[in-house]
Amino acid sequence: MADKKVDVLIIGSGHTGGLAAKILTEKGISCTMLDAGPMINFERDRTLKPASQLPYRGFDAPGRHPHIFQSSEFSANQWVDEKVIPYNYPVGQQYNWVRIRSVGGRSPFWGRQSFRHSDYEFKSKDHDGFGENWPISYKDLAPFYPRVEGLFRVSGHTDGLPQYPDGNFIEDNAPWSGAMQRFVDAGKKMGVPVTKARSARGVGGLAASINLFIPDAVATGKLTTIPNAIVRQITVDKNTGKTDGVIFIDRHSHREMTLKARVVIVAAGTLETTRLLMISSIANSSGVLGHYLCDQIYGAGIAASVPEARGGKGGRNVTGGGALIPRFRNLETKTPGYLRGYAVNVSSGNGPMDARWFPEYGPTLDKKLEEYNGSGFTTNIMGETLGHYENHVVLNKQVVDAWGMPTLTISTKYGDNEVNMAKDMVDTTAAMAEAAGFEVLVKNYEFNPPGYSIHEQGTARMGDSPKTSVVNKWNQSHDIKNLFITDASVFVSAGWQNPTVTMCALAIRASEYLAEEMRKGNV
Amino acid sequence: MKRRDFVKGFAVATATATALGQQAPPQAKNPVPATGTVDQGAQAVAPNTASSPAATTRMQQVAEFRTPNIPVTAPDIVATTDVRYFTAARYATLVQLCAIMMPVSSDYPGAIQAGAPEFLDFLLGGSPTDRQAMYNEGLDRLNADTVKKFSVAFAKADAKQADAVIRPYLKGWINDHPPKEKHERFIALVHREIRTATMNSPAWAAAAEASGERTPGVGLYWAPIDPGIETWVSHGTPKASAPVARQAHS
Repeated sequence: MADKKVDVLIIGSGHTGGLAAKILTEKGISCTMLDAGPMINFERDRTLKPASQLPYRGFDAPGRHPHIFQSSEFSANQWVDEKVIPYNYPVGQQYNWVRIRSVGGRSPFWGRQSFRHSDYEFKSKDHDGFGENWPISYKDLAPFYPRVEGLFRVSGHTDGLPQYPDGNFIEDNAPWSGAMQRFVDAGKKMGVPVTKARSARGVGGLAASINLFIPDAVATGKLTTIPNAIVRQITVDKNTGKTDGVIFIDRHSHREMTLKARVVIVAAGTLETTRLLMISSIANSSGVLGHYLCDQIYGAGIAASVPEARGGKGGRNVTGGGALIPRFRNLETKTPGYLRGYAVNVSSGNGPMDARWFPEYGPTLDKKLEEYNGSGFTTNIMGETLGHYENHVVLNKQVVDAWGMPTLTISTKYGDNEVNMAKDMVDTTAAMAEAAGFEVLVKNYEFNPPGYSIHEQGTARMGDSPKTSVVNKWNQSHDIKNLFITDASVFVSAGWQNPTVTMCALAIRASEYLAEEMRKGNV
Repeated sequence: MKRRDFVKGFAVATATATALGQQAPPQAKNPVPATGTVDQGAQAVAPNTASSPAATTRMQQVAEFRTPNIPVTAPDIVATTDVRYFTAARYATLVQLCAIMMPVSSDYPGAIQAGAPEFLDFLLGGSPTDRQAMYNEGLDRLNADTVKKFSVAFAKADAKQADAVIRPYLKGWINDHPPKEKHERFIALVHREIRTATMNSPAWAAAAEASGERTPGVGLYWAPIDPGIETWVSHGTPKASAPVARQAHS
């Protein structure tokens, strides 16, 4: 029988698990990485198909993924089914928990927007008094961001904005299309910066752990990867108080196995990480485990038309391209009605218009679609939500998943801060669009439920004090020194940014710290 | 694959299956790992059984067999969908709404020709109750409004009468946010779904092909992965939440 003790056990193979494996194995440390899902095989698992050949004409089976707005019949099989791993929420507090279980986690499917945090996020309490500061500042992560951007091959433009720190970019100096230039100019007059989007190009359009990080770890010969391994408990040695490994269940057979380890890194994704810590009854001497859940609001925005592009008269110089409005509110001045700020994804398209934008039907709608063809312009919010203590998760032992593990009850809701922020965003970008000469077709002030952005953060936050945080500034558990957490559960506040590059920068930093501590014999 | 290749391949597979069924216990001492197919799997559960050179050769032949190219057809091309869910009155309203919202054009079928009403009847029949209620109440409301205004059922209304009861509730919308007002929401969603059921229909795809346009609605479809979540729904025991006492292993 195997009687092994692995050096570092990594739970989860998404961006931060994969990156931890890469950093540690390249330093000569053997790692074993478990993932709860199967190994995906793009050649076998994906096929180009027309919707007309699908059983439900693209709708998918009714009610299959009631909380995954992103799901369609094309993608339905990639998401975790909530009948298999249920969760619940109090009445009136809908939460859309969007999960993927396969090797690579959600990393093959992310939007690839790559924005650094700034000290407006790391030191947010100093700035506006709400919440807590992170135990690190921008300068602590500054050496690590360029490495992440290099791995991801991030394209972007150097803008010199303190709230939108520049980075190690494949420089995007492409000129704006005419419509976008007018929008940029309208923003300048209103004090709203409109910049180039920053996006991970990856390789072949994929910027995932499975193609950018894990292969490097494999190449060292020091990585063991085990799919279909559902960790049901992180175990602790009663004599030392340290973790000594995990108990996991084989996804197929439900066979239970024990794996001993010197160090455990949890990188299962924010809420799965917290769920596992709670099930294991560890890392919560502070009592804050599960609290301060936050993310970003999506969904509010406008749809507009660029008049000169109608009838397919657009083209590269007239319309097209994307842009980003980085947070600009509550930096040096105070905006009434809400704290923090929002960013805006801006897009100008050359293709068909969305039929939903027109209050027409039948031949009249067809005529409108033809007339407006190629003139679409949209803005969409990414707004920081506030991580209140009350936004939290607890274990629900009455409802277990298909492997018998307790599930989560997620209690979180948005408030006036988010409502007022969304209103400001819609009114501001509509005014900019009108000033640019566009016809605003639809304004939508409503935003999606919590969780929709798939940017859940917090619930195992970092901090200097073991009394108010779960991990220290090195992503190391205050309670268990050989336990590390590298995903976004350690975030102290959400920011307006896609969390991925900051998660990855933290994962590199934590992994290098861990390697050094192991070398010194401290862990 | 050429037809003669296909016939040859099929004959090999048949012969192999027959022979495997009559397989005598082999004598080899070094089992070869299994490589696929149901027949081989059945043998491989007893590793020694699958380890003879002859059995291994046959298994490898079967493993190398490639799927023949047999063109298949969507059932909608030759069959119709039975209507089972909506009442006759509601279904008549839906049919009329389909005809009005997405009529036939010179190149493409309308919602009726694409079988959208029958498809939506099928879809709604399996939908959550709140979705069913939205449709039922929305269709009833359309009919009631037409009767009230014109003393005629919506199913019998002319285009002008139908427009008078639809247009006040038409609103533009974006993202995942149809209007909140109940009837506006129904009109927005039923319109969206009539269009989707029509434009994603086999009839629409056939029309695109006939007119030389690229196949519409092509996306990257994910198959269930290894082997799919349904297994876990039905796989009840043993549960990890109640682990049995650790047993001694020899």
